[in-house]
Amino acid sequence: MEICRVARDKLGREGSGQLRLVALAVGQEAPVEADNLTFCLDALLTQPPFGQARVAVRCCPGSDLRIDYLEIDDGDSDD
Amino acid sequence: MAIRTIEVRERVMARNDKFAATVRRRLRAAGVSSLNLISSPGAGKTTLLERTLQAIGAELPMAIITGDVQTRNDAERLARHTDRLVHAVVTGGGCHLDARQVLAALAAINLAETGLLIIENVGILVCPAGWDLGEEAKVVLLSVTEGEDKPQKYPAAFRAAQFVVLTKIDLLPHVPFDPDRARALALEANPDLQFLQLSALTGEGMDGWLELLRSLSPRLVHT
Repeated sequence: MEICRVARDKLGREGSGQLRLVALAVGQEAPVEADNLTFCLDALLTQPPFGQARVAVRCCPGSDLRIDYLEIDDGDSDD
Repeated sequence: MAIRTIEVRERVMARNDKFAATVRRRLRAAGVSSLNLISSPGAGKTTLLERTLQAIGAELPMAIITGDVQTRNDAERLARHTDRLVHAVVTGGGCHLDARQVLAALAAINLAETGLLIIENVGILVCPAGWDLGEEAKVVLLSVTEGEDKPQKYPAAFRAAQFVVLTKIDLLPHVPFDPDRARALALEANPDLQFLQLSALTGEGMDGWLELLRSLSPRLVHT
């Protein structure tokens, strides 16, 4: 839920756009199971205000649980 | 479609840790010691606290914060044994307490008349281990009706703790639980752990637990 709060805050500051990806770094000694976390976030991130965002987890050394970056779809054309 | 990337590089616990630092500062300023009890569901946290309140509730001014996913049952059980505040936090699905909830609960506690704050966390051995509540020490309860390999399965809880309390030892003759192996596995996860073992039901070993609580609190009432 804290991850969703941070994502919501960042989205709010960006003003517009649809969240597409939440990239996380999960330490091997972090007190969470990466698969469980992904499962829970997959459920939460498909609900409003997120739409259909995905989760990408990168395992890393240590005990940190960190949000690396977000990907946002602005919906504009490329040209 | 235009996808852009926003760098965040933010620790998920960063906000919680700020609240925890505030909790710790307030407790220290008021001279209040604090313990955070974590365990699997049914390990005996509430029963241990009931017996603790019965035994030394009059001499040691305690405040208790209980965390449960649903119901205030634990807080109501404990409130029967004390006139002091037992504050229930219902997490509404959350699998752990966080420091913001503890900080909010502190507002209702008269810290000037409290010697020891005990936080009974939500019964689960995973998430509570990773959340700093501003406590002085985490205490893991492990009951003999669980597997003795819990420290291997949930090492983060044992790494984060200072004390392990082996509970329900009155059942040892009836269950295939090896306390020595449990202790060895816990020490593999954290060599600095201190151990207690007790039965809140029969009272065996309770003296050691009560002595620990007395030693933690500078604010004893000598009657």
